[in-house]
Amino acid sequence: MSYILNRVFSMMLTLFLISAITFAVTNILPGDVAMMIMGTQSNPEALAGLRETLGLNDPLLVQYGRWVGGMLTGDWGSSLVFKEPIAPLLLQKMTASGLLVLFSMAIALTCAIPLGVWAAVHANRWQDTAASSTAMLGVSLPDFFWGIMLILLFARGLGWLPSSGFVDPGDDLGAAVRHALLPSLALGLGLMAHLTRMTRATMTGILKQEFIRVARAKGLNESTVVWRYGLANAVGPVMTVAGLQVGYLFGSIIVIESLFNYTGMGWLTYQALLNRDIPLIQASVFVIAAVVMLANLIVDLLYAVVDPRIRLS
Amino acid sequence: MKRREFLKTTSALMSGTILYGLSGPARAQSEPVRGGTLIWGHSETTQNLDMHQTGTASTGRVLQNVHDSIVTVDKDLNVIPNLAESFEQSEDGLTYTFRLRPGVMFHNGKTMTSADVKYSFDRCRDPDTGAVNFEVFNAVESIETPDDLTLIVKLNSVNAPFLSRLAENGAGVVMPEGSGEEQGNAPVGCGPFRFVRREFGNEVELERFDDYWGGPAYLDRVIAREITEPTVRLTGLRTGELHMINDIPADRIAEIEGDSDLQVVSWFPLNWDFVNFNHDFEPFKDPKVREAFDYMIDKEVLLEGALWGQGATTASPSYPTSASYNSDLGQRPQDIEKAKALLAEAGYGPNELSVVFKVTTNYPYHVESAQIMLEWFRMAGVDASIEQLTWSDWLSQVWVDKDFQISMMNFFTLWEPDFLYYSLWNTEGAFNYRKISHPKVDELTAKARVTVDPAERAAIYKEVQQVIHDDTLDVILWFRNGTIGAQPTVQGLDSIVHPNGSNLRFHKVWLAET
Amino acid sequence: MKVPAAFRSTKGIAGVIVVVAVLAVAVFAPLLIPADWATRMDMRARLSPPTWAHPLGTDQLGRDLMFRVLLGAQTSIFIASAAVLMSIVIGLPLGLVSGYVGRTTDNVLMRLVDTLLSFPALLLALTISAILGPNLQNTIIAIGIAFTPFLARIIRGEALRVAQMPYVEAARTAGNSDLRLITLHILPNIMPAVIVQSTISLAFAILAEAGLSFLGLGTQPPDASWGLMIQASRDYLDRAPWTALVPGTAVAVTVLGLNMFGDALRDALDPRARGAA
Repeated sequence: MSYILNRVFSMMLTLFLISAITFAVTNILPGDVAMMIMGTQSNPEALAGLRETLGLNDPLLVQYGRWVGGMLTGDWGSSLVFKEPIAPLLLQKMTASGLLVLFSMAIALTCAIPLGVWAAVHANRWQDTAASSTAMLGVSLPDFFWGIMLILLFARGLGWLPSSGFVDPGDDLGAAVRHALLPSLALGLGLMAHLTRMTRATMTGILKQEFIRVARAKGLNESTVVWRYGLANAVGPVMTVAGLQVGYLFGSIIVIESLFNYTGMGWLTYQALLNRDIPLIQASVFVIAAVVMLANLIVDLLYAVVDPRIRLS
Repeated sequence: MKRREFLKTTSALMSGTILYGLSGPARAQSEPVRGGTLIWGHSETTQNLDMHQTGTASTGRVLQNVHDSIVTVDKDLNVIPNLAESFEQSEDGLTYTFRLRPGVMFHNGKTMTSADVKYSFDRCRDPDTGAVNFEVFNAVESIETPDDLTLIVKLNSVNAPFLSRLAENGAGVVMPEGSGEEQGNAPVGCGPFRFVRREFGNEVELERFDDYWGGPAYLDRVIAREITEPTVRLTGLRTGELHMINDIPADRIAEIEGDSDLQVVSWFPLNWDFVNFNHDFEPFKDPKVREAFDYMIDKEVLLEGALWGQGATTASPSYPTSASYNSDLGQRPQDIEKAKALLAEAGYGPNELSVVFKVTTNYPYHVESAQIMLEWFRMAGVDASIEQLTWSDWLSQVWVDKDFQISMMNFFTLWEPDFLYYSLWNTEGAFNYRKISHPKVDELTAKARVTVDPAERAAIYKEVQQVIHDDTLDVILWFRNGTIGAQPTVQGLDSIVHPNGSNLRFHKVWLAET
Repeated sequence: MKVPAAFRSTKGIAGVIVVVAVLAVAVFAPLLIPADWATRMDMRARLSPPTWAHPLGTDQLGRDLMFRVLLGAQTSIFIASAAVLMSIVIGLPLGLVSGYVGRTTDNVLMRLVDTLLSFPALLLALTISAILGPNLQNTIIAIGIAFTPFLARIIRGEALRVAQMPYVEAARTAGNSDLRLITLHILPNIMPAVIVQSTISLAFAILAEAGLSFLGLGTQPPDASWGLMIQASRDYLDRAPWTALVPGTAVAVTVLGLNMFGDALRDALDPRARGAA
């Protein structure tokens, strides 16, 4: 219990640090909110006036306090380009991206675990080379390369799936899934490659351990040894790595969502960055970092539940 | 019909935008039917939706369907009635009287009166609005509304282009009184389509306005999905996810034209492009240096390289069929040796001059152009590099802050010569982001404004073009072709291109049943 | 020395060969091929498939892909190595101090590193690029900073493990100074892990450069880098696939080589793996 409390406390601290870093970094972005609001019609006097009204002349610490205060009281401000309150906007986009993250995670894990185990069982033989090479090919090319290939194959060539766009699951679940499939695949390929490598590495280590030898010596059949005993012990570390990859995924969605015109969090953040929509950049960068951190925390906690030794250290 | 023959016949018929024609499935046009949602893959992102404030072609292209202007132009670019059913000008050229069309409805349910027109013009004139076309109303002394359907505009000095400048939405748009605040987010007008919503950077939805004064449109809805990635846009058209796209990637036009499942509309010109020098950057203060850069550029090769030849080179940005187009001007041929000599005369030996070329990724063919030009700059001993900017960074760095050395831009066809030459090259011009201040150009563009005789005006503008070319204020490159690719079900495409070549109108477009 | 053990496996040998070959290209191509051959255009041979004149074909501006990919190696490898070097230079002292000193210092530093790890590397690199403006040097800084937390985390873990080793304890009780302990006993023992992580980071840095270039924030044209070449090919993938396949293969082979090399190194150096073997 104290382990969990401890983790929750440190999470609060990390959240605070995330907010501070986000605020500091976005404040050095060129251009400012006043400039963005005025756009092509800006003149020096009007800009100065607007900066004053927006409080951009206050000390940074005061501005930071105001921002954090706003976030805590639920006032996240409004986006300059979307002209909408930020909080509901982020919630909607997060749902869209959540779908992608879940799908790609599912695709990656379903392929990576059997492939990785297979490679580990046949370590240093042709099966290993085949599995590892496939995995490496996935991780050796940028995901937007796969994205374009998938569009050409499944949308243009076979006509099975739409090439771009986003549909809200609430409006039409089937269409939502169809639109999410290609971007998820593009994301999942790189992830799968990564997880296959991790599974192989973990399994190789486990298969060399004493209890596996004992199990084999007892005359248990090989597949029971591998899947019952071996994999059971590999799942924890592999899940941890998968959890850590949530961060990687949230980086990749920036490129992939832009390519597929899939209007989720990555697309939103990129639009915000492109258009120097500082309030939206701050909020979305903060939310992404917070979600990544939460994902890692959940993985840690789950791991602690699975493997009680963790709690002691 | 072969394209060449078509060109011959059509150009004889209309002197404005030349519709190259429709290629593709040779199916007879069906009878117009009502209904359906047209999904358009739009090549660019719409920006500020306030028609007065917006200067981007992408936004104007969409808003053309939401708004209407007080007067408009026909295919020959003659000013004709629109929201005003008639207009007249006094003998001295100082008083304009507009008789408004009765019963014109706004999307908000109100009926248009002279008060709305006055409101719109006053809003555009007001410096606080930040209207792009602000200076159109510079000479206006008063705007009177003797009755609901009459508007009298009095000028304090002759402003020859006044009426024709009102034929574009930027200055001539009529908005309901008091709607200024909402225009930026939810534009309200009296056009054939009502604005429903926009998700920034993603899509704009328009729905038919049944009370449109010109008769209701056929389509129920138009959804403009903003897909800037050319491959994705083209794939969307081919898979049938999109009914039509504008701006077919230049290297694919021949391929799509040959595709029997798709139709292609192409016309000339869509817009024009030029290379810009910052006249405040020390080396570019010397006309010799600017001329040297002009000599480095092979315009034909550049057009082929960047646009796969989809356009025509020109030394003048005047609308190609207009009276003021100076056809005597010729572009400077590429001559690297001459360029080197000019640079040396200006005091820059080989590799002594270094420039940064700022180019926006919003127009991928600009990035290609910059790469090609860079090769030539380097051949001429100029140390050059490229900085790619996002559209918003280009607007803020080049357009607003004027912080650049050399850049490139395109403009929608500014067929009205005052709009073109005053805005872009007059010291006070709204589009003069190059910090150009040329006394002769200032004098001529001001003089043209008070010259009523069309022939005389045209002569003045021809002289302006001569000066721009002689002193290489910018390097004018070409007019670009416009293209639309569409499914065979999209009908009425012959009416979709606005006479200005830049805007699209969906009023008379329909979706045939398949 | 344990490193040569990595060369005993086929994978390790293949990895080394690839890495050495790519490095050789990166170093020697610019010495042997005039720089402007990568940007020379031929408008009559645009998107040309492989021919005798252009063995690997040409891109949309008629530039020879063979010369571009050879000369682009330098840019890509340079950006990736410089970025990884930068992350080592910052991450190494950070991780060492944190792992060796422990206690509050460790807590504070690792809290910071964990926080930075919550920001996806590409998002961080993208934001930094947007702040600094797009050019080669800033691309390096952006990727370098974005990768630092990973390295710091791994080095810290290694330093922690090594610091608890009996021989370090022995050296400590023998009265060696902290600095001596770190430089003479800990640093050499964590270097293998640093090398392994660096090879993997290098692979990721090459991909990150491609990602940044895809969004227009990496290498600026007309200079050739593999990422930029793939980026430029995206409009021509279906009609001229070689424009993507040539740089794509270069990236894939290099990343593959680095990963194989890294894997072999890890297999050879991983104490658990060795202990069990």
